[in-house]
Amino acid sequence: MIDLNKLLETLLYSKKDPILFNSAFFFYFFAVFLLCYLAAARSKRYRVAIYTIFSLYFFYKACGPYVGLILLSAIVDFNLSRWIYNSEKPGFRKGLMTFSIILNLGLLFYFKYMNFFIGVGNDLNVWHFNLIRDIILPIGISFYTFENLSYTIDVYKREIKPVDNFMDYLFFLSFFPKLMMGPIVRAADFIPQISQPYELDSEDIGKGMYLIISGLFKKVIISDFIYQNFVQYIFDDPSKHTGLECLLGVYGYALVIYCDFSGYSDMALGIARWTGFKIPPNFESPYQSASITEFWRRWHISLSSWLRDYLYIPLGGNRKGKVRQYINLWLTMLIGGFWHGASWNFIFWGGLHGTALAVDKVRIDAQKKRGGAPAGWKGTVLKIGGIFLTFHFVCFCWIFFKASTFHDSWALINQIVHDFQPEVWLELYNGYTMVFWVMLGAFILHFLPKRSENFAERTMARFPVWGSIAVMAFFIYILVQVKSSDTMLPIYLQF
Amino acid sequence: MSGKNKSAYPFYIIAGSLVCLVALSMVRNTFSLQHYTSRPLDMLADVRKDEPADSTAIAVEIPTDTSAAISPADTVALAGIPDPDHDHDFASYTGILNYAVHDTAVSGLEHFLSALNELKTGKRKKVRIAYFGDSMIEGDLITEDLRDSLQILFGGSGVGFVPITSVVAGFRTTINHTFSKDWKDYSYKELPPASIPLGMSGHTFVPGESSWTRYAPVHKHNLDKFEEVSLLYGPASGGNISVNDKQYALSGRAPVNTLSWKQDSAHPNVNIKWAGGSSMPFYGVCFEADNGVYVDNYSFRGISGIELGKLSKQIVEQMQTEHPYDLVVLHYGANMLWKPELTDYSWYGRPMKRVMDSLRNDLPNTSFLVITTADKSYRKGGNWMTAPGVPALVKTQHELAKEHGAAYWNLYAAMGGEGSMVQWVEGDPALANKDYTHFNRQGAAKVGALLYKAMMDEYKMEHQ
Repeated sequence: MIDLNKLLETLLYSKKDPILFNSAFFFYFFAVFLLCYLAAARSKRYRVAIYTIFSLYFFYKACGPYVGLILLSAIVDFNLSRWIYNSEKPGFRKGLMTFSIILNLGLLFYFKYMNFFIGVGNDLNVWHFNLIRDIILPIGISFYTFENLSYTIDVYKREIKPVDNFMDYLFFLSFFPKLMMGPIVRAADFIPQISQPYELDSEDIGKGMYLIISGLFKKVIISDFIYQNFVQYIFDDPSKHTGLECLLGVYGYALVIYCDFSGYSDMALGIARWTGFKIPPNFESPYQSASITEFWRRWHISLSSWLRDYLYIPLGGNRKGKVRQYINLWLTMLIGGFWHGASWNFIFWGGLHGTALAVDKVRIDAQKKRGGAPAGWKGTVLKIGGIFLTFHFVCFCWIFFKASTFHDSWALINQIVHDFQPEVWLELYNGYTMVFWVMLGAFILHFLPKRSENFAERTMARFPVWGSIAVMAFFIYILVQVKSSDTMLPIYLQF
Repeated sequence: MSGKNKSAYPFYIIAGSLVCLVALSMVRNTFSLQHYTSRPLDMLADVRKDEPADSTAIAVEIPTDTSAAISPADTVALAGIPDPDHDHDFASYTGILNYAVHDTAVSGLEHFLSALNELKTGKRKKVRIAYFGDSMIEGDLITEDLRDSLQILFGGSGVGFVPITSVVAGFRTTINHTFSKDWKDYSYKELPPASIPLGMSGHTFVPGESSWTRYAPVHKHNLDKFEEVSLLYGPASGGNISVNDKQYALSGRAPVNTLSWKQDSAHPNVNIKWAGGSSMPFYGVCFEADNGVYVDNYSFRGISGIELGKLSKQIVEQMQTEHPYDLVVLHYGANMLWKPELTDYSWYGRPMKRVMDSLRNDLPNTSFLVITTADKSYRKGGNWMTAPGVPALVKTQHELAKEHGAAYWNLYAAMGGEGSMVQWVEGDPALANKDYTHFNRQGAAKVGALLYKAMMDEYKMEHQ
């Protein structure tokens, strides 16, 4: 019944289906890993070794030979950081750090931006080169490059002591829950947790279980479902759809990208938690934000805080006057946009957010002068208005983020503005009944207070083992019923 | 394990649920509840040995022998005209096949091709094509490219027929079209009362108090100015309109009447306003020059072609007097393939036969061209592949063409046959949308070019 060749094949890297948390393969992988990890639980050294081996294998399953890159960058950054730390000569230290930055960014640049800049140069007649063929963006490179950078810079600033053991550093860098799509973890938060004994209490179990299940739910039931059955048709050819469809398509995409990315982050957090590591949350119900500044404190927190600490503050932050602060904010977001990919769409998207952040800064400053936000009913109205406005601004920006070309973005906006056709709503509802209910449900869930989340976690913490097994097995059975047969690669895997 | 440390729990939970699910995978685990059938759960799907029985279940055998469905009398070819099925396999041939039958005056593309030749040699002024289709041709897709190519070779300028209002006006790039919202749109979906005929496009528009419609040319070759414009309207009993502020009283009583004018070069646009009087039906406006080839795009979203049976004999015949057609193209398919694994299309063939019988009867001197469905993919076991219904529907459409002495063009084969839609969707540049059904603009242009080439191959064979 079992085909041994096929079994062997599934164990090897396949470009067509990289390992994902929501694949059946991962389930087996995770079970075997947990067994080995448990066996090694008493010794820190064995634990680290087992976790690292499984992580590297995971990475190999995800991107084949590029697993070498992570080994290489671990060796280089581990040693550079130690030399930086041990040296007392400022010039030498600075030189080494610059070298590390150039190396890391160079790697990222080569894989991610080379062809973009060759193309731009060709278009502007600055130079004429052929595009480099066959550059594939190695999975996770945007994430672990940033982790390397923050580690080296922190060591340089003597904010942290470099790790003594190479295996610890390789373990930190390759830690499989966050390897492919973040969150971007700081060494300072992570390394101390390595030496702690592997012990879990019922809160850990409940929280981990909740995060894994809600992550799968967001990714498979909400995001993939809405995208495959509705959103992709709209963005494929916006001019063929009425304005109402386009608008709903944009609302749908707002859910798709949030549930896709935060769902994956939740799974990473849950898996880490179950293996004894606490990673700070990457999302905090971002669409509840009443201003764009708040949005960026709740959306992809590990990236925005990284950009704040290693880009915005070194640029001068708010220390060089108001005008410089606005420019710094704008520039940080522009580069943040570019981080997502080598395309003008992302740059424009970042620029829009940067501008909005700068404008919002003006508002916040003015509000401070007046003595804070208004209270009472006026405050409530402003808050609701703010949520509405922020959500729609973010949606507007998503159009540029998602559409494949500027032309498509404008076509979609044009449909919403000039060809709304609200009278088609009933026909639309009949065509996409299930999708719209899922969308509505997702928005309601998103706006539930934090209390309900805590309640779910506590409930799961109280389950006996057999109860948890029943819930997990039943949930996966439901997933199989709903999930699309096409593998839906996570959106942030491409960044 | 101590009572406090629960570090083994994750393993218990994952391994436990895995065991449950694998155990479930070993047994038959689907169930049906009314219309819902649950999907099978198989945690071992990736490593199971292939079962050969499974793959044959998908590939439905489609006999290429069509004689059983058609009465012998119909298939006897006219003396001297060979049956093209002797030379070509209709299921894979990428050119046009011309069929002939006893009782029709014109066969295959014969009439159309000689009309083109007469146009070329100055013996006639116009050749017109009525191109019927579904969402595949919405927004002038395919027809735009066919029209442009034909007009370059045989002359003519203008988009042909444009309805009074259209759901895809914003998407159409061959004319700028805006209109008021108060037109009452009767169509196949909401038939007009008995006193109002349904127009050739499947729509009839009745004005509200302040209805208007406006057309403006676009900056494209052959479409940048209006020359000969005609308004097609239904039976009138004292209705008034204004065209660019000039008043007209409409008096035609026939099912189809024409009000034509030469566009004044000082006014590039056409503004038609309802100016009161006794309510009456309108169909659309035609934009032509005084000679050349015209392709009228009659798109109607979501239909299969059977709906054409709702066009009355009077409308079709009167249309042929006012606005005669030399070729009728029937291009349908996507809407019959809603059940991808269905391979019996007799439910479609029977009513469509009646539709073609009556159209053929009403338009005895017009050529007919049946264009088959395009390739359409569906997901099976994680992969996109050609729906088994596609070749089955092609076969039914071929029978329809052959029975009625029509010409036949296999778009599915012309696209590349089995699996071609997947290539069109995933190619670079992409030629079709992610629904694995509809072409995008580039894909439609390619289909238009393929069709033009197929037509010209026939033309060259006959007239060069």
